[in-house]
Amino acid sequence: MATLLILLPLAIIMVLNLPFKDAFKRAAPFLGGCFYLLQAALVVFHPAAFWDDIYNPLEAFFAFECSTDALSLVLFLSIAIVGFVAVLVGAHALKNPRQRFFLINLLLLATVGMNANVMVTDLFSTYVFLEVTAVASFILIAMMKGEGALEGAFKYIILSVIASVMMLLSLALLVLVTGQTSFEAVRAGLGASPESLFVKMAMILFVCGLFVKGGVVPFHAWVPDVYASAPSFVSVFLAGIVTKVSGVYILMRLLVSVFGFEASVQQVIMFVGALSIVVGALAALAQRDFKRMLAYSSISQVGYIVLALGCGTPLAVAGAAFHLFNHAVFKSLLFVNAQGVEERCGTTHMEMVSGLGSRMPVTGWTSVIALLSTAGVPPLAGFWSKLLIIMALLNASRYGYAAVALFSSVLTLAYFLSMQRRMFFGKPHKGMENIREAGPVIVGVEIILAGITVGAGLLYPLVLEYFILPVQRVVG
Amino acid sequence: MQMPVLWVPIAIPLLAAAALLSVPRRFLFAKEAVSLFAAALNLVAAWTLFGKEAVYAAPWAGLGAEFSLRLYHFSGFIMLAAACFGFFVLVYSVVFMRGKDHARSFFVFFLVSLSLTNGAVLADNLIVLLFFWEGLLLTLFGMIAIGRPQAFRTATKAFIIVGICDLCMMLGIGLAGHLAGTLAISAIRLPLDALGGLAFVLLVIGAISKAGSMPFHSWIPDAAEDAPLPFMAILPASLEKLLGIYFLARISLDMFRLTPASWASPFLMVIGCITIVAAVMMALIQKDYKRLLSYHAISQAGYMILGIGTCLPVGIIGGLFHMINHALYKTCLFLTGGSVERQAGTTNLEGLGGLARKMPATFACFLVAAASISGVPPFNGFFSKEMVYEAALERNFLFYLAAAAGSFFTAASFLKLGHAAFLGPLRQELKSVRETAWPMLLPMLTIAGICVFFGVNNSWPLEHLIRPVLGPLSAAGHGSPGVPGEHMLVIVTAVILLGAFLNHVAGAAMAGSGLKAIDHIYRAPVLSGIYEKAQRKVFDPYVAGMKIAENFAKFSAAVDRKMDVFYDKGIVAAITAAGHRLGRLHTGNYSTYIIWAVAGMLLALVFVAG
Repeated sequence: MATLLILLPLAIIMVLNLPFKDAFKRAAPFLGGCFYLLQAALVVFHPAAFWDDIYNPLEAFFAFECSTDALSLVLFLSIAIVGFVAVLVGAHALKNPRQRFFLINLLLLATVGMNANVMVTDLFSTYVFLEVTAVASFILIAMMKGEGALEGAFKYIILSVIASVMMLLSLALLVLVTGQTSFEAVRAGLGASPESLFVKMAMILFVCGLFVKGGVVPFHAWVPDVYASAPSFVSVFLAGIVTKVSGVYILMRLLVSVFGFEASVQQVIMFVGALSIVVGALAALAQRDFKRMLAYSSISQVGYIVLALGCGTPLAVAGAAFHLFNHAVFKSLLFVNAQGVEERCGTTHMEMVSGLGSRMPVTGWTSVIALLSTAGVPPLAGFWSKLLIIMALLNASRYGYAAVALFSSVLTLAYFLSMQRRMFFGKPHKGMENIREAGPVIVGVEIILAGITVGAGLLYPLVLEYFILPVQRVVG
Repeated sequence: MQMPVLWVPIAIPLLAAAALLSVPRRFLFAKEAVSLFAAALNLVAAWTLFGKEAVYAAPWAGLGAEFSLRLYHFSGFIMLAAACFGFFVLVYSVVFMRGKDHARSFFVFFLVSLSLTNGAVLADNLIVLLFFWEGLLLTLFGMIAIGRPQAFRTATKAFIIVGICDLCMMLGIGLAGHLAGTLAISAIRLPLDALGGLAFVLLVIGAISKAGSMPFHSWIPDAAEDAPLPFMAILPASLEKLLGIYFLARISLDMFRLTPASWASPFLMVIGCITIVAAVMMALIQKDYKRLLSYHAISQAGYMILGIGTCLPVGIIGGLFHMINHALYKTCLFLTGGSVERQAGTTNLEGLGGLARKMPATFACFLVAAASISGVPPFNGFFSKEMVYEAALERNFLFYLAAAAGSFFTAASFLKLGHAAFLGPLRQELKSVRETAWPMLLPMLTIAGICVFFGVNNSWPLEHLIRPVLGPLSAAGHGSPGVPGEHMLVIVTAVILLGAFLNHVAGAAMAGSGLKAIDHIYRAPVLSGIYEKAQRKVFDPYVAGMKIAENFAKFSAAVDRKMDVFYDKGIVAAITAAGHRLGRLHTGNYSTYIIWAVAGMLLALVFVAG
């Protein structure tokens, strides 16, 4: 039944595009929103009948296998939350019904790819669904046909192609060695020749491809251009979940279920993660545009996830998964804030807006919550995931990396506080005295996301019980 | 035994803060009433819990971080002290904050701080401690930020400095937990080897930065000017000192079991001595009431660190006694500063003078507190300082010398402060100044009374509050209450105080009206030459001494400013430059980006292959 999460959005897309009247097409945002709510509800209430029985009606046509575990659940929930937010904010921002309709179709298409990526247990299917997600994302970025957005989409396509080349090459090598592409067979085949240079090359090629997808330094360069130029509601979706699933989650899944933690690959991953943390944070400090700063901040936060992942202990992977979830929430929140500011002020350039705190109190305060969570200040959710990551690094005796992870929090605070001061505190600029709070949809979404951040922090014992310990068991 | 009652002191102020936020603004006095009620209730709770023993543990964050609280003598004592100061300062703030902007935010932050302090003190698990400890960072930031318009800058500075120190502590906690295999504070026993030593240093950085020691102090003087005054009285002067020194004592006594032979002991003592001397030298040249006090808040922390660093029972008792004494007199001093600010409209010493006649009760409180901080017998500061001296002298003469020098300059700067603010001719514009309102006076008088009580009857605090902390460690004959045993030290102290007094009188005479009083003798034909010589001879040592002191003070101030620049500009500039460089690398040219990605891939391949 769990494969319905792939089939259902596909069915919705098909039905929406049947030649019905326009009135029906207007219901698209409603249908999309309902789908994401359903997905979230399925994860939270966890009906056993739905999850335990992996019945795949497509098996007759395409040979791909699915399975789910605790790690997949974390991702399904993140996808549902971010997707729901993107539908709401997008439908609110786009006034033209046709554009709205396209947006929902594309979001759902990307979700098909992501949900499938979370479930499949076959390397080639992984690659195929990665491309499905990527193609939907290209169009999403370029949807508004702005000059910057087209350029950003172009860069994303070019670098994605390079990533595809790397991954296909790796796939070819792996098929040469093992003769098959399913996770189990490849794992068994690799186990037969663990020290082969060939195998290591194949692994690192696939990992590098995923680095490009996830936006990790030095494979990250497309990220700032894309996030900053795409419409904010698209950036919510891309930064919150697309790059996390197609880059980080697949890396996680491959390391845990296929490749295993090979020492030299692990070192590469940890180094790249630490580099991302520092470079992303430093570059964020120098930015003058809110959205561009958020993009660099994303690079830095993905670095945390990748670093923890490279550490490889069950605790570290659980911390990485939790941080992935947290990042999906607080980064979406910040991009929604950006959308609100952009709508009211016409720009997100930090020098052109100021003193919004008194004019837009909800936007101001929710962005404070998001930034404190990002920087890892208790009792917010970000504190716990960073704590888990740092404890895991210390327990694995990676003292240097633990110190890097810890002290980069200061940089995180520094760039966010300077942003906060410039945009939200102080006196409003001339002509900005009459700015009003963002619309009810934006405010509502902001409050929901801030509530999740605060709630996951305060109810951490529950999170631990139903979330982190199960993930730990998957790994350990 | 499970005792959920330990939740009470954490919950009371927190619930009250939540209630404050939900009370509509139009109810007059509602916020004051709720805050006062909560602080009083908190005090009652702390009083009831004091002297009892209890533990509470609940599964919490997993992975060894269970939510465990432990009430025993030490934590009960700190909690009681914090509750007392919380109550007194709150009573004071009710009047002080009236009509000020952000009064409601102030009370909310205040109550949350109280709650977090109680939590941090009760915590018996390092992660729980960290949780509350870092929460205090937020209220610190908030309370500074609601001060003067330019306070946001100072708040950010404080946030960054304290935040970095907290991160050090977080690393230390992780390391200590990893090495000891447990996160329960009362179960951790670590040796001071390479990694253990690193954990120790990191934890100490966290503790002494909370106590406001050098070199993590530079936000305090700025906050003194920018933040609302009761903030200084409650956080840097009392709660943070109590918490920092409490944790330092836990680290040194429980977790690492320091002995005088270990390297950590001189490490702490040197930090203590540098803090004492350098901060007090800076206090000497300050011209603002609050700023001067804030440097003393830094300097006095040095005595506590020195006392605990000696690792001798008498020193530890002295250090802890000094901690509570300091919280008393420094809170009182800040409150007098607040009264002066509110009544006279300024705290700039050049605009003050002769207030003693207008504000006699405030002046009396100031006198008691100033005598206490200067270590004048029989006030409380005298007894704790004597114990620290005794321990310092037993370790090394140099440590004693630094502590005694600190005493001299402390006395000198308080004579200056008292003279400039309260004595001398009353300025024209201060003619209409009146005594402070009684709700502000009452806490000051009470605290001053406790200063006297703890001094005259020092056996009570020592026997009931301090000595049980050490338990069997407290050796016989050392640190006993009553008159200090070392008569030589007492005499030296007396000489030092007298010296400071004479120094002041002479200085005042030279600079002020005293100089004119001897003008006619000075001009007499025969005597003039003699006086000239006499003046040179008699006063040269003074002038030279003052010059040396002044130059040293200027040097210290320069070092202080340099540190400030280092924190404010140096680090920021380096980081911003790095950020801009990285930003410029992103040219937007996708062929460059492709080259990066491919180069990264090749490097990774080479690494894995090689």
